[in-house]
Amino acid sequence: MEHTTAAAQADVSMSLFEKRTSTYGAWTLSAGLVLSLLGPISLLFFAGLDITPVMVGVAFAAVAATFGTLWVVEPLTYFPILGPAAMYQANMIGNVSNKLLPAVIVAQSSIGAKPGSRRGDISAVMAISGAAMVHLASLLIFVGVLGTWLVGLLPVGLIEVARLYVLPSLIGAVVVQAIVSMKQPRTTVVAVSIALIIQFGVIPLFPQLAFYATALAVLSTIVISWAVRGRKVVQTAASDPGPETEVVDRPDRPDHAEEKGS
Amino acid sequence: MILSPLTLTDPKSSDIWEIANTPLLWACALGVFAVIILQTVLYVRAARGAAPGIEMPMSEVRSSFRAGAVASIGPSLAVVIVAISLLALFGTPAVLLRIGLVGSAGAETASAGIASTTMGAELGGSGYTQQVFAVAFTAMSLSGAMWMLSALILIPILKRGKKTLATRNPAIMALLPTAALLGAFSMLTIAELPKSAVHVVAVVISAGVMGICLFIAKRFDLRWLREWSLGIAILVTLTSVYFIHTGS
Repeated sequence: MEHTTAAAQADVSMSLFEKRTSTYGAWTLSAGLVLSLLGPISLLFFAGLDITPVMVGVAFAAVAATFGTLWVVEPLTYFPILGPAAMYQANMIGNVSNKLLPAVIVAQSSIGAKPGSRRGDISAVMAISGAAMVHLASLLIFVGVLGTWLVGLLPVGLIEVARLYVLPSLIGAVVVQAIVSMKQPRTTVVAVSIALIIQFGVIPLFPQLAFYATALAVLSTIVISWAVRGRKVVQTAASDPGPETEVVDRPDRPDHAEEKGS
Repeated sequence: MILSPLTLTDPKSSDIWEIANTPLLWACALGVFAVIILQTVLYVRAARGAAPGIEMPMSEVRSSFRAGAVASIGPSLAVVIVAISLLALFGTPAVLLRIGLVGSAGAETASAGIASTTMGAELGGSGYTQQVFAVAFTAMSLSGAMWMLSALILIPILKRGKKTLATRNPAIMALLPTAALLGAFSMLTIAELPKSAVHVVAVVISAGVMGICLFIAKRFDLRWLREWSLGIAILVTLTSVYFIHTGS
Protein backbone atom coordinates (compact mmCIF):
# COMPACT_ATOMS: atom_id res chain seq x y z
CA MET A 1 0.00 0.00 0.00
CA GLU A 2 3.06 2.15 -0.23
CA HIS A 3 1.80 3.39 -3.57
CA THR A 4 -1.50 4.64 -2.10
CA THR A 5 0.21 6.65 0.63
CA ALA A 6 2.54 8.19 -1.91
CA ALA A 7 -0.43 9.04 -4.14
CA ALA A 8 -2.34 10.54 -1.19
CA GLN A 9 0.70 12.57 -0.19
CA ALA A 10 1.04 13.79 -3.77
CA ASP A 11 -2.60 14.93 -3.74
CA VAL A 12 -2.10 16.82 -0.48
CA SER A 13 1.07 18.54 -1.73
CA MET A 14 -0.52 19.53 -5.00
CA SER A 15 -3.72 20.87 -3.48
CA LEU A 16 -1.68 22.89 -0.98
CA PHE A 17 0.41 24.19 -3.88
CA GLU A 18 -2.69 25.16 -5.86
CA LYS A 19 -4.27 26.85 -2.85
CA ARG A 20 -1.12 28.83 -2.06
CA THR A 21 -0.45 29.90 -5.63
CA SER A 22 -4.10 30.94 -6.14
CA THR A 23 -3.99 33.19 -3.09
CA TYR A 24 -0.57 34.67 -3.88
CA GLY A 25 -1.49 34.95 -7.55
CA ALA A 26 -4.78 36.74 -6.99
CA TRP A 27 -3.28 39.22 -4.51
CA THR A 28 -0.19 40.07 -6.52
CA LEU A 29 -2.19 40.34 -9.75
CA SER A 30 -4.63 42.74 -8.04
CA ALA A 31 -1.73 44.80 -6.68
CA GLY A 32 -0.20 44.96 -10.15
CA LEU A 33 -3.54 46.01 -11.61
CA VAL A 34 -3.93 48.91 -9.13
CA LEU A 35 -0.31 50.07 -9.51
CA SER A 36 -0.54 50.01 -13.30
CA LEU A 37 -3.55 52.36 -13.20
CA LEU A 38 -2.07 54.83 -10.68
CA GLY A 39 0.26 56.41 -13.23
CA PRO A 40 -2.32 57.25 -15.90
CA ILE A 41 -4.80 58.40 -13.23
CA SER A 42 -2.24 60.84 -11.87
CA LEU A 43 -1.72 62.26 -15.37
CA LEU A 44 -5.46 62.52 -16.02
CA PHE A 45 -6.39 64.32 -12.83
CA PHE A 46 -3.36 66.23 -11.67
CA ALA A 47 -1.31 67.15 -14.72
CA GLY A 48 -3.58 69.90 -16.01
CA LEU A 49 -3.77 68.42 -19.49
CA ASP A 50 -7.44 69.35 -20.05
CA ILE A 51 -8.47 65.75 -20.63
CA THR A 52 -12.21 65.06 -20.64
CA PRO A 53 -13.81 61.72 -19.69
CA VAL A 54 -15.17 61.56 -23.24
CA MET A 55 -11.66 61.52 -24.73
CA VAL A 56 -10.65 58.62 -22.49
CA GLY A 57 -13.97 56.84 -23.09
CA VAL A 58 -13.67 57.05 -26.87
CA ALA A 59 -10.03 55.96 -26.87
CA PHE A 60 -10.77 53.05 -24.56
CA ALA A 61 -13.79 52.00 -26.63
CA ALA A 62 -11.62 51.93 -29.76
CA VAL A 63 -9.02 49.74 -28.04
CA ALA A 64 -11.75 47.53 -26.57
CA ALA A 65 -13.27 47.06 -30.03
CA THR A 66 -9.94 45.59 -31.18
CA PHE A 67 -8.79 43.69 -28.12
CA GLY A 68 -11.97 43.25 -26.06
CA THR A 69 -12.68 39.66 -27.04
CA LEU A 70 -9.00 38.75 -26.62
CA TRP A 71 -9.18 39.73 -22.94
CA VAL A 72 -11.44 36.71 -22.52
CA VAL A 73 -10.21 34.44 -25.31
CA GLU A 74 -6.51 34.55 -24.41
CA PRO A 75 -6.85 33.17 -20.87
CA LEU A 76 -9.06 30.40 -22.28
CA THR A 77 -6.44 29.57 -24.92
CA TYR A 78 -3.48 29.32 -22.58
CA PHE A 79 -5.13 27.80 -19.50
CA PRO A 80 -4.90 24.15 -20.63
CA ILE A 81 -1.18 24.57 -21.36
CA LEU A 82 -0.12 26.51 -18.28
CA GLY A 83 -2.46 25.35 -15.52
CA PRO A 84 -3.99 27.67 -12.90
CA ALA A 85 -0.84 28.54 -10.95
CA ALA A 86 1.26 29.66 -13.91
CA MET A 87 -1.75 31.48 -15.40
CA TYR A 88 -1.55 34.13 -12.67
CA GLN A 89 2.12 34.65 -13.48
CA ALA A 90 1.51 34.77 -17.23
CA ASN A 91 -1.24 37.36 -16.92
CA MET A 92 0.98 39.54 -14.81
CA ILE A 93 4.10 39.39 -16.95
CA GLY A 94 2.63 39.15 -20.43
CA ASN A 95 4.72 38.24 -23.48
CA VAL A 96 3.09 34.81 -23.20
CA SER A 97 3.59 33.40 -26.68
CA ASN A 98 6.97 34.97 -27.37
CA LYS A 99 8.65 34.41 -24.02
CA LEU A 100 6.82 32.48 -21.31
CA LEU A 101 5.45 29.54 -23.31
CA PRO A 102 8.81 28.91 -25.01
CA ALA A 103 10.48 28.98 -21.57
CA VAL A 104 7.93 26.48 -20.27
CA ILE A 105 8.41 24.13 -23.24
CA VAL A 106 12.19 24.21 -22.93
CA ALA A 107 12.02 23.53 -19.19
CA GLN A 108 9.47 20.73 -19.44
CA SER A 109 11.31 19.01 -22.25
CA SER A 110 14.69 19.30 -20.54
CA ILE A 111 13.38 17.32 -17.57
CA GLY A 112 11.01 15.18 -19.68
CA ALA A 113 7.72 16.33 -18.09
CA LYS A 114 4.43 16.49 -19.98
CA PRO A 115 2.38 19.70 -19.91
CA GLY A 116 -0.67 19.42 -17.68
CA SER A 117 0.99 16.75 -15.50
CA ARG A 118 1.98 17.59 -11.94
CA ARG A 119 5.68 17.68 -12.68
CA GLY A 120 4.78 19.71 -15.74
CA ASP A 121 2.88 22.26 -13.64
CA ILE A 122 5.71 22.69 -11.13
CA SER A 123 8.22 22.87 -13.97
CA ALA A 124 6.07 25.53 -15.69
CA VAL A 125 5.94 27.69 -12.57
CA MET A 126 9.70 27.43 -12.08
CA ALA A 127 10.40 28.14 -15.76
CA ILE A 128 8.19 31.23 -15.73
CA SER A 129 9.86 32.39 -12.51
CA GLY A 130 13.26 32.07 -14.17
CA ALA A 131 11.99 33.83 -17.27
CA ALA A 132 10.41 36.59 -15.16
CA MET A 133 13.71 37.33 -13.45
CA VAL A 134 15.60 37.57 -16.74
CA HIS A 135 12.76 39.68 -18.18
CA LEU A 136 12.81 42.16 -15.29
CA ALA A 137 16.60 42.32 -15.03
CA SER A 138 17.03 42.97 -18.74
CA LEU A 139 14.30 45.63 -18.78
CA LEU A 140 15.67 47.37 -15.68
CA ILE A 141 19.26 47.40 -16.85
CA PHE A 142 18.94 47.94 -20.59
CA VAL A 143 15.76 50.02 -20.71
CA GLY A 144 15.45 51.61 -17.26
CA VAL A 145 19.09 52.50 -16.63
CA LEU A 146 20.84 52.43 -20.01
CA GLY A 147 17.84 52.99 -22.30
CA THR A 148 18.20 56.72 -22.94
CA TRP A 149 21.89 56.20 -23.65
CA LEU A 150 21.41 53.13 -25.87
CA VAL A 151 18.63 54.73 -27.91
CA GLY A 152 21.15 56.74 -29.92
CA LEU A 153 23.63 53.90 -30.21
CA LEU A 154 21.52 51.07 -31.62
CA PRO A 155 21.67 51.00 -35.40
CA VAL A 156 18.27 51.54 -37.02
CA GLY A 157 18.66 48.32 -39.02
CA LEU A 158 19.04 46.28 -35.85
CA ILE A 159 15.90 47.77 -34.27
CA GLU A 160 13.96 47.12 -37.44
CA VAL A 161 15.17 43.52 -37.73
CA ALA A 162 14.37 42.87 -34.09
CA ARG A 163 10.88 44.33 -34.44
CA LEU A 164 10.03 42.55 -37.68
CA TYR A 165 11.62 39.17 -37.27
CA VAL A 166 11.76 38.25 -33.58
CA LEU A 167 8.64 36.15 -33.70
CA PRO A 168 9.53 34.04 -36.77
CA SER A 169 13.10 33.61 -35.47
CA LEU A 170 11.76 32.19 -32.25
CA ILE A 171 8.67 30.34 -33.28
CA GLY A 172 10.33 27.92 -35.74
CA ALA A 173 12.60 26.64 -32.99
CA VAL A 174 9.82 26.46 -30.42
CA VAL A 175 7.48 24.49 -32.64
CA VAL A 176 10.22 21.95 -33.40
CA GLN A 177 10.99 21.60 -29.71
CA ALA A 178 7.30 21.20 -28.89
CA ILE A 179 6.78 18.53 -31.54
CA VAL A 180 9.91 16.60 -30.54
CA SER A 181 9.21 16.68 -26.80
CA MET A 182 5.47 15.94 -26.99
CA LYS A 183 6.02 12.79 -29.11
CA GLN A 184 2.40 12.87 -30.29
CA PRO A 185 2.57 12.36 -34.06
CA ARG A 186 -1.19 12.10 -34.46
CA THR A 187 -1.97 15.34 -32.61
CA THR A 188 0.92 17.05 -34.40
CA VAL A 189 -0.50 16.16 -37.80
CA VAL A 190 -3.94 17.37 -36.71
CA ALA A 191 -2.52 20.64 -35.32
CA VAL A 192 -0.44 21.45 -38.40
CA SER A 193 -3.27 20.60 -40.82
CA ILE A 194 -5.72 22.76 -38.90
CA ALA A 195 -3.28 25.68 -38.80
CA LEU A 196 -2.79 25.39 -42.57
CA ILE A 197 -6.54 25.27 -43.19
CA ILE A 198 -7.18 28.28 -40.94
CA GLN A 199 -4.35 30.36 -42.41
CA PHE A 200 -4.88 29.60 -46.09
CA GLY A 201 -8.55 28.58 -46.17
CA VAL A 202 -10.53 30.30 -43.43
CA ILE A 203 -8.76 33.65 -42.97
CA PRO A 204 -8.80 34.64 -46.68
CA LEU A 205 -12.58 34.13 -46.56
CA PHE A 206 -13.15 35.74 -43.16
CA PRO A 207 -10.25 38.18 -42.55
CA GLN A 208 -11.84 39.44 -39.33
CA LEU A 209 -11.07 36.03 -37.76
CA ALA A 210 -7.29 36.61 -38.00
CA PHE A 211 -7.18 37.92 -34.42
CA TYR A 212 -8.72 34.73 -33.09
CA ALA A 213 -6.69 32.33 -35.24
CA THR A 214 -4.76 30.94 -32.26
CA ALA A 215 -7.85 30.38 -30.15
CA LEU A 216 -9.62 28.81 -33.10
CA ALA A 217 -6.65 26.52 -33.80
CA VAL A 218 -6.40 25.44 -30.15
CA LEU A 219 -10.09 24.62 -29.93
CA SER A 220 -10.21 22.73 -33.25
CA THR A 221 -7.02 20.81 -32.46
CA ILE A 222 -8.47 19.69 -29.13
CA VAL A 223 -11.78 18.63 -30.65
CA ILE A 224 -10.35 16.83 -33.68
CA SER A 225 -7.48 15.16 -31.80
CA TRP A 226 -10.10 13.88 -29.39
CA ALA A 227 -12.22 12.55 -32.24
CA VAL A 228 -9.32 10.73 -33.91
CA ARG A 229 -7.45 9.70 -30.72
CA GLY A 230 -5.90 6.26 -30.44
CA ARG A 231 -8.45 4.05 -28.67
CA LYS A 232 -5.74 2.39 -26.60
CA VAL A 233 -5.15 5.68 -24.87
CA VAL A 234 -8.69 5.82 -23.55
CA GLN A 235 -8.38 2.39 -21.97
CA THR A 236 -5.09 3.05 -20.23
CA ALA A 237 -6.12 6.45 -19.02
CA ALA A 238 -9.58 5.32 -17.93
CA SER A 239 -8.18 2.32 -16.07
CA ASP A 240 -6.14 4.69 -13.96
CA PRO A 241 -8.68 6.28 -11.66
CA GLY A 242 -7.72 8.43 -8.74
CA PRO A 243 -9.04 11.34 -6.76
CA GLU A 244 -7.50 13.83 -9.15
CA THR A 245 -6.73 11.98 -12.31
CA GLU A 246 -4.43 14.39 -13.93
CA VAL A 247 -1.59 12.79 -15.79
CA VAL A 248 0.90 11.92 -13.11
CA ASP A 249 4.02 11.20 -15.06
CA ARG A 250 6.51 9.59 -12.81
CA PRO A 251 9.77 8.68 -14.43
CA ASP A 252 9.38 5.06 -13.36
CA ARG A 253 6.06 4.67 -15.09
CA PRO A 254 5.43 4.59 -18.83
CA ASP A 255 3.49 7.66 -19.79
CA HIS A 256 -0.09 6.80 -20.58
CA ALA A 257 -0.58 9.81 -22.81
CA GLU A 258 1.53 8.23 -25.50
CA GLU A 259 -0.23 7.33 -28.66
CA LYS A 260 2.00 4.69 -30.09
CA GLY A 261 0.77 1.63 -31.88
CA SER A 262 -2.95 2.17 -31.94
CA MET B 1 6.86 67.33 -4.68
CA ILE B 2 4.99 65.05 -7.02
CA LEU B 3 3.01 67.84 -8.59
CA SER B 4 5.78 70.38 -8.99
CA PRO B 5 7.12 69.01 -12.29
CA LEU B 6 3.59 68.65 -13.55
CA THR B 7 2.67 72.32 -13.16
CA LEU B 8 4.93 73.00 -16.13
CA THR B 9 2.72 70.94 -18.42
CA ASP B 10 0.96 72.18 -21.49
CA PRO B 11 -1.66 69.99 -23.19
CA LYS B 12 -0.56 71.20 -26.62
CA SER B 13 3.16 70.71 -26.06
CA SER B 14 4.72 67.86 -27.99
CA ASP B 15 7.45 67.50 -25.40
CA ILE B 16 6.27 64.10 -24.19
CA TRP B 17 9.27 63.51 -21.94
CA GLU B 18 8.30 66.50 -19.81
CA ILE B 19 5.38 64.54 -18.34
CA ALA B 20 6.40 60.99 -19.20
CA ASN B 21 9.33 60.86 -16.82
CA THR B 22 7.84 62.15 -13.56
CA PRO B 23 8.92 60.62 -10.24
CA LEU B 24 5.40 59.29 -9.63
CA LEU B 25 5.42 57.33 -12.90
CA TRP B 26 8.86 55.97 -12.05
CA ALA B 27 7.55 54.91 -8.64
CA CYS B 28 4.61 53.07 -10.24
CA ALA B 29 6.89 51.28 -12.71
CA LEU B 30 9.29 50.19 -9.98
CA GLY B 31 6.33 49.23 -7.77
CA VAL B 32 5.04 46.88 -10.46
CA PHE B 33 8.49 45.34 -10.80
CA ALA B 34 8.58 44.83 -7.03
CA VAL B 35 5.19 43.08 -7.15
CA ILE B 36 6.40 40.72 -9.90
CA ILE B 37 9.53 39.92 -7.88
CA LEU B 38 7.39 39.25 -4.80
CA GLN B 39 5.09 37.00 -6.83
CA THR B 40 8.06 35.09 -8.21
CA VAL B 41 9.59 34.55 -4.76
CA LEU B 42 6.28 33.29 -3.34
CA TYR B 43 5.72 30.97 -6.32
CA VAL B 44 9.23 29.54 -6.20
CA ARG B 45 8.76 28.79 -2.51
CA ALA B 46 5.39 27.13 -3.14
CA ALA B 47 6.83 25.04 -5.99
CA ARG B 48 9.83 23.93 -3.95
CA GLY B 49 7.49 23.01 -1.11
CA ALA B 50 5.29 20.87 -3.35
CA ALA B 51 8.06 19.03 -5.23
CA PRO B 52 9.01 16.43 -2.58
CA GLY B 53 5.34 15.41 -2.18
CA ILE B 54 5.06 14.45 -5.85
CA GLU B 55 8.48 12.76 -5.82
CA MET B 56 9.98 15.40 -8.06
CA PRO B 57 13.71 15.68 -7.36
CA MET B 58 14.95 19.14 -6.33
CA SER B 59 17.45 18.96 -9.19
CA GLU B 60 14.54 19.02 -11.66
CA VAL B 61 12.99 22.02 -9.89
CA ARG B 62 16.26 23.93 -10.12
CA SER B 63 16.82 22.76 -13.67
CA SER B 64 13.38 24.08 -14.71
CA PHE B 65 14.13 27.51 -13.25
CA ARG B 66 17.49 27.62 -15.02
CA ALA B 67 16.04 26.37 -18.30
CA GLY B 68 13.29 29.02 -18.17
CA ALA B 69 15.81 31.75 -17.42
CA VAL B 70 18.22 30.69 -20.16
CA ALA B 71 15.43 30.19 -22.70
CA SER B 72 14.15 33.70 -22.13
CA ILE B 73 17.52 35.47 -22.65
CA GLY B 74 17.07 35.65 -26.41
CA PRO B 75 13.42 36.79 -26.37
CA SER B 76 14.21 39.25 -23.55
CA LEU B 77 16.99 40.95 -25.48
CA ALA B 78 14.75 41.21 -28.52
CA VAL B 79 12.01 42.77 -26.38
CA VAL B 80 14.59 45.17 -24.93
CA ILE B 81 15.60 46.36 -28.40
CA VAL B 82 11.98 47.00 -29.36
CA ALA B 83 11.33 48.68 -25.99
CA ILE B 84 14.26 51.04 -26.52
CA SER B 85 12.84 52.03 -29.88
CA LEU B 86 9.60 53.00 -28.11
CA LEU B 87 11.28 55.22 -25.50
CA ALA B 88 10.90 58.39 -27.55
CA LEU B 89 7.17 57.80 -27.88
CA PHE B 90 6.25 56.93 -24.32
CA GLY B 91 9.16 57.79 -21.99
CA THR B 92 10.97 55.25 -19.83
CA PRO B 93 8.42 54.60 -17.02
CA ALA B 94 5.48 53.99 -19.38
CA VAL B 95 7.58 51.62 -21.53
CA LEU B 96 8.72 49.72 -18.43
CA LEU B 97 5.17 49.58 -17.10
CA ARG B 98 3.48 48.51 -20.30
CA ILE B 99 6.11 46.08 -21.57
CA GLY B 100 7.16 44.82 -18.15
CA LEU B 101 3.54 44.05 -17.36
CA VAL B 102 0.89 42.03 -19.23
CA GLY B 103 1.60 43.57 -22.57
CA SER B 104 3.90 42.76 -25.39
CA ALA B 105 5.51 45.47 -27.49
CA GLY B 106 3.26 44.74 -30.46
CA ALA B 107 -0.08 44.78 -28.62
CA GLU B 108 0.80 47.88 -26.61
CA THR B 109 1.96 49.90 -29.61
CA ALA B 110 -1.20 48.88 -31.44
CA SER B 111 -3.38 50.02 -28.51
CA ALA B 112 -1.54 53.33 -28.26
CA GLY B 113 -1.85 53.85 -32.00
CA ILE B 114 -5.58 53.14 -31.99
CA ALA B 115 -6.12 55.47 -29.02
CA SER B 116 -4.12 58.29 -30.66
CA THR B 117 -6.18 57.97 -33.82
CA THR B 118 -9.35 58.70 -31.83
CA MET B 119 -7.66 61.99 -30.84
CA GLY B 120 -6.91 62.75 -34.48
CA ALA B 121 -3.19 62.20 -33.96
CA GLU B 122 -0.57 59.75 -35.05
CA LEU B 123 2.02 58.20 -32.73
CA GLY B 124 5.11 60.39 -32.90
CA GLY B 125 3.50 62.67 -35.48
CA SER B 126 3.23 66.45 -35.12
CA GLY B 127 -0.19 66.14 -33.44
CA TYR B 128 1.21 63.79 -30.79
CA THR B 129 0.96 66.15 -27.82
CA GLN B 130 1.22 65.62 -24.08
CA GLN B 131 -2.55 65.37 -24.01
CA VAL B 132 -2.62 62.64 -26.68
CA PHE B 133 0.15 60.78 -24.88
CA ALA B 134 -1.79 60.83 -21.61
CA VAL B 135 -4.96 59.54 -23.28
CA ALA B 136 -3.05 56.83 -25.20
CA PHE B 137 -1.21 55.77 -22.06
CA THR B 138 -4.51 55.59 -20.15
CA ALA B 139 -6.17 53.52 -22.87
CA MET B 140 -3.20 51.11 -22.95
CA SER B 141 -3.25 50.78 -19.19
CA LEU B 142 -7.01 50.22 -19.05
CA SER B 143 -6.72 47.55 -21.72
CA GLY B 144 -3.97 45.86 -19.72
CA ALA B 145 -6.10 46.13 -16.59
CA MET B 146 -8.98 44.42 -18.38
CA TRP B 147 -6.66 41.56 -19.31
CA MET B 148 -5.71 41.17 -15.64
CA LEU B 149 -9.29 41.53 -14.47
CA SER B 150 -10.56 38.86 -16.83
CA ALA B 151 -7.77 36.55 -15.64
CA LEU B 152 -8.76 37.20 -12.02
CA ILE B 153 -12.35 36.25 -12.83
CA LEU B 154 -11.70 33.40 -15.28
CA ILE B 155 -8.88 31.45 -13.61
CA PRO B 156 -10.95 30.29 -10.60
CA ILE B 157 -13.80 29.29 -12.93
CA LEU B 158 -11.49 27.40 -15.29
CA LYS B 159 -9.84 25.73 -12.32
CA ARG B 160 -13.17 24.34 -11.15
CA GLY B 161 -13.93 23.25 -14.71
CA LYS B 162 -10.61 21.44 -14.90
CA LYS B 163 -11.30 19.57 -11.65
CA THR B 164 -14.74 18.45 -12.85
CA LEU B 165 -13.39 17.39 -16.20
CA ALA B 166 -10.51 15.51 -14.58
CA THR B 167 -12.89 13.33 -12.55
CA ARG B 168 -15.53 12.87 -15.25
CA ASN B 169 -13.28 12.35 -18.24
CA PRO B 170 -9.65 11.72 -17.33
CA ALA B 171 -8.78 10.69 -20.88
CA ILE B 172 -9.48 14.15 -22.24
CA MET B 173 -7.29 15.68 -19.52
CA ALA B 174 -4.41 13.62 -20.84
CA LEU B 175 -4.97 14.99 -24.32
CA LEU B 176 -6.02 18.59 -23.66
CA PRO B 177 -2.72 20.30 -22.71
CA THR B 178 -0.66 18.74 -25.51
CA ALA B 179 -3.33 19.36 -28.12
CA ALA B 180 -3.70 22.98 -26.96
CA LEU B 181 0.04 23.53 -27.05
CA LEU B 182 0.61 21.95 -30.46
CA GLY B 183 -2.45 23.78 -31.82
CA ALA B 184 -1.27 27.15 -30.52
CA PHE B 185 2.29 26.86 -31.78
CA SER B 186 1.40 25.37 -35.17
CA MET B 187 -0.93 28.32 -35.72
CA LEU B 188 1.54 30.95 -34.48
CA THR B 189 4.20 29.47 -36.78
CA ILE B 190 2.09 29.14 -39.90
CA ALA B 191 0.68 32.65 -39.41
CA GLU B 192 4.25 33.98 -39.84
CA LEU B 193 4.78 32.35 -43.24
CA PRO B 194 2.62 34.53 -45.54
CA LYS B 195 4.13 37.77 -44.16
CA SER B 196 7.22 37.80 -46.42
CA ALA B 197 9.92 35.58 -47.90
CA VAL B 198 12.28 36.66 -45.11
CA HIS B 199 9.75 35.46 -42.55
CA VAL B 200 9.74 32.05 -44.22
CA VAL B 201 13.55 31.96 -44.20
CA ALA B 202 13.57 32.95 -40.51
CA VAL B 203 11.14 30.19 -39.56
CA VAL B 204 13.10 27.60 -41.56
CA ILE B 205 16.53 28.57 -40.15
CA SER B 206 15.16 28.73 -36.61
CA ALA B 207 13.49 25.33 -36.93
CA GLY B 208 16.63 23.85 -38.55
CA VAL B 209 18.99 25.12 -35.85
CA MET B 210 16.69 23.76 -33.14
CA GLY B 211 16.51 20.41 -34.91
CA ILE B 212 20.32 20.18 -35.09
CA CYS B 213 20.73 21.23 -31.45
CA LEU B 214 18.20 18.66 -30.24
CA PHE B 215 19.83 15.93 -32.33
CA ILE B 216 23.29 16.66 -30.92
CA ALA B 217 21.87 17.00 -27.40
CA LYS B 218 20.24 13.59 -27.66
CA ARG B 219 23.16 11.90 -29.35
CA PHE B 220 25.70 13.05 -26.77
CA ASP B 221 23.27 13.43 -23.86
CA LEU B 222 23.91 17.13 -23.29
CA ARG B 223 21.24 18.67 -21.07
CA TRP B 224 22.82 22.14 -21.18
CA LEU B 225 22.41 22.17 -24.95
CA ARG B 226 18.68 21.49 -24.60
CA GLU B 227 18.44 24.51 -22.33
CA TRP B 228 20.51 26.77 -24.59
CA SER B 229 19.10 25.55 -27.91
CA LEU B 230 16.37 28.21 -28.09
CA GLY B 231 18.85 31.01 -27.42
CA ILE B 232 21.23 29.63 -30.04
CA ALA B 233 18.41 29.30 -32.59
CA ILE B 234 17.22 32.90 -32.08
CA LEU B 235 20.75 34.29 -32.25
CA VAL B 236 21.71 32.40 -35.41
CA THR B 237 18.40 33.25 -37.10
CA LEU B 238 18.40 36.95 -36.21
CA THR B 239 22.02 37.29 -37.36
CA SER B 240 21.26 35.61 -40.68
CA VAL B 241 18.10 37.67 -41.15
CA TYR B 242 20.01 40.85 -40.31
CA PHE B 243 22.40 40.19 -43.19
CA ILE B 244 19.57 39.29 -45.57
CA HIS B 245 17.60 42.36 -44.54
CA THR B 246 20.45 44.89 -44.72
CA GLY B 247 22.02 43.21 -47.75
CA SER B 248 18.94 43.48 -49.91
